[in-house]
Amino acid sequence: MNARKLFRYLNQEKIVFLLTVLLFVAFSLTLNNFLDGNNILSLIRSVAVLGILGLGMLIVVLGRGIDLSLVATMAISIAWSMQLIHEGMPVYAALTTGLLFALGVALFTGILVAYAEIPPLFATLAMATFVYGFGRAHLIVGTDVVYMPKTMGWIVMLGQGKLFGVPMPIVVAAAMALIVFLFLKFTKVGNFVYAIGDNLAASRIGGIAVRPMLVLQYVLSGGIAFVAGIITATSVEAMNTRIVNSNMIYDVILVVVLGGVGLSGGRGNVRNVIVGTLLIGVLMNGMTIMDIQYTVQNVIKSLILLLAIVVDSIVNPRDEQTGQQGDI
Amino acid sequence: MSPILELKNVTKEFHGVAALRNVSFTLMPGEVHSLLGENGAGKSTLTKIMAGVHEPTQGEVVFNGQPMTFGSPAEALHKGIAMVFQETSLVPSLTVAQNIYLGNEKFLNRLRGIYIAAQQFLQSLNFGVDPTMYVSQLGAAQKQMVEIARAVHHKARIIIFDEPTATLTPEEKHHFFSLVNRLKREGVSIIFISHALEEALAISDRITILRDGQHVITDDAKNFDRDKIISSMVGRSLSAELYSRDKSRKARAYGQKVLSVQNLSMGKMVRNTSFSVYSGQITGIFGLIGSGRTETAKIISGVVKRDFFHGGEVRLDGRSVRYRVPRPAVKDGIVYVTEDRKIEGFFETKSIAENIYMNLLSSDLNRGVVVSHSEMMELAKDWTKRLNVKAIDGNARVIELSGGNQQKVVIAKALVQKPKLVIFDEPTRGVDVGAIAELHQVINELADAGLAVVVISSYLPEILNLADRILVSRQGRVVEEFSTEEATEEKIMYAAVH
Repeated sequence: MNARKLFRYLNQEKIVFLLTVLLFVAFSLTLNNFLDGNNILSLIRSVAVLGILGLGMLIVVLGRGIDLSLVATMAISIAWSMQLIHEGMPVYAALTTGLLFALGVALFTGILVAYAEIPPLFATLAMATFVYGFGRAHLIVGTDVVYMPKTMGWIVMLGQGKLFGVPMPIVVAAAMALIVFLFLKFTKVGNFVYAIGDNLAASRIGGIAVRPMLVLQYVLSGGIAFVAGIITATSVEAMNTRIVNSNMIYDVILVVVLGGVGLSGGRGNVRNVIVGTLLIGVLMNGMTIMDIQYTVQNVIKSLILLLAIVVDSIVNPRDEQTGQQGDI
Repeated sequence: MSPILELKNVTKEFHGVAALRNVSFTLMPGEVHSLLGENGAGKSTLTKIMAGVHEPTQGEVVFNGQPMTFGSPAEALHKGIAMVFQETSLVPSLTVAQNIYLGNEKFLNRLRGIYIAAQQFLQSLNFGVDPTMYVSQLGAAQKQMVEIARAVHHKARIIIFDEPTATLTPEEKHHFFSLVNRLKREGVSIIFISHALEEALAISDRITILRDGQHVITDDAKNFDRDKIISSMVGRSLSAELYSRDKSRKARAYGQKVLSVQNLSMGKMVRNTSFSVYSGQITGIFGLIGSGRTETAKIISGVVKRDFFHGGEVRLDGRSVRYRVPRPAVKDGIVYVTEDRKIEGFFETKSIAENIYMNLLSSDLNRGVVVSHSEMMELAKDWTKRLNVKAIDGNARVIELSGGNQQKVVIAKALVQKPKLVIFDEPTRGVDVGAIAELHQVINELADAGLAVVVISSYLPEILNLADRILVSRQGRVVEEFSTEEATEEKIMYAAVH
């Protein structure tokens, strides 16, 4: 009986958190440099961008969607901004243009999903390809990598600065997490995101403007992608647009799903994303110290994801009781 | 004769709340045993223990003389216990025949073969369903038939029917009962859960009544009558206040014309229908399934769009409106209380309080940006008290409530938006006797308070009992109107079918 109660208490989020702690302890004991203050900071810093993108994905997934164009939007919008600065546009004007581009792309995606009723998987997949192709063909012609202009001023600090010894990417990620948390929990619109993800028909009948809300979700995630772009570009002083062709978008989905956000919508919150991101951070950092090959790291990551999903479905089986209407 | 299935002192708890307390139950071979009780009485829990969906917290299940624990519904089905659920568990994207043979396919599964076999099988059951149709294209009644056919085909020794007749027409009910009799002759035991007491009386050998998770009485059906059943179900005699027409009841006077519908059309479901709705009274709309009642209501409340060119006209307070989504309708004060609360009524991951509060947020009554937890709890407390929702507190999830209480939450969600026209679509479907009386009172109070109320129902006593004027819908249009004085069951039925 007690074991069962413990089982009930566990859920995917807690399992993953437990796993993170276990890994953390194991790495601390076995790896020499792991439990070093600087290493911990660089660990978190290395997944800060992933975490920020995860927040964007969270908002969309909560509303029963998925956004595969996040990474493409991130890369192309900031790359174009920096390209414009190189071409002589003032910094703020260029960044605003990049932000508007990201929001515009997301707005279009949202309209495709909400009004043209294209499944989000296909709409965002097509948009990702379109954004990357269009960006490479017309916006940042002739090069994969756009280097950071020297004239960016204080914005560089977002990637390279420190606040009380904490690298700025971590601070920005934490701030974004706080903003998204407050948005989802305390604003009316944030509550509507959950409502739509839970039951679209009931939301609609209840008088929620469902389609504008769907568009808004994508616009928010587009804006978040741009922020992630600024952090990436200023940290490494360049934006390599080939990142679109990497499997980064799967990592974003990974941190969201790993943390226990339900892909069927309506279930999950910022905490899940943080937990998922931390696990990936600890894992990748530890494996890098152990000098495990990148390709092998991917194998381990995927196994962890599968494990988390399997354990979750064992601990929280699909309940016939809630699957059926009527009396207890 | 020894019982085929026996439950001994079974207790079942969900999250520490007992849904069943010390219930014993026996089922003889070849017996039709009705299980009656209000929603929340524990009927479904009891049958789900038999069908292997739940495991009892305490007590013992004896099947065929041997103690048994079923790990899963599939295992119970394999042993010969089949359950026909209220909501169908068919695969919508497969055909009728494929569904019937699901799990029994041969290695090489030739469709033609199973179509022919299914055709003969369905004919032998007297079910007029085309085996090549996809289940998604079937109506509710036909789905129910397929579900029954599947249970029979699995050669089940015990079949549990949970509200099998709720969606059937009189003709289909007749077929269903002759099928039950046939199964009985073949030695199949049948457990029958229903809110239709006359059916239970007519069909059963024995009747067991549960109340609040406890066993009240088990006896031969011939020792029961309607009043005795109801008084055992609710512990008081309700039949007088429910469904016996109060002759002294006066129809409410016509208020202002709130809604006027002219030549409304939508596809094949709504054809050129015209009627009006007045404030301060209840307009009942009666019609058989497929007569376009629900569709008409959904057009008025913006859930579906009417035809663009020849869609007719809807006037709200004299102003022509054409809603494409429900939001402007809600803004204008029209709310629709759905007939299918699970699919489009409430949020299942959310609590009672969150459910009710969400609809306040989505109406224009709340212009704020930020949500308030205290306002939410206040609202929940207020409405659960007004509608007498039985739950531990506002933090209970709606999905865990009984049907009647779920319906009350859905109604609270609608009323919190301060509407002037409320459309109730089958307000008491899947709701127990005790809650029906309460829901009827709520609806009456709304009309007394001056709201325009529309009640759509396919249950005649309900319409006769509630409505001040009765519209009869047939084949997509309102064909006749009765005042409550002149209406009789016969007249209404005659208008609805002919």
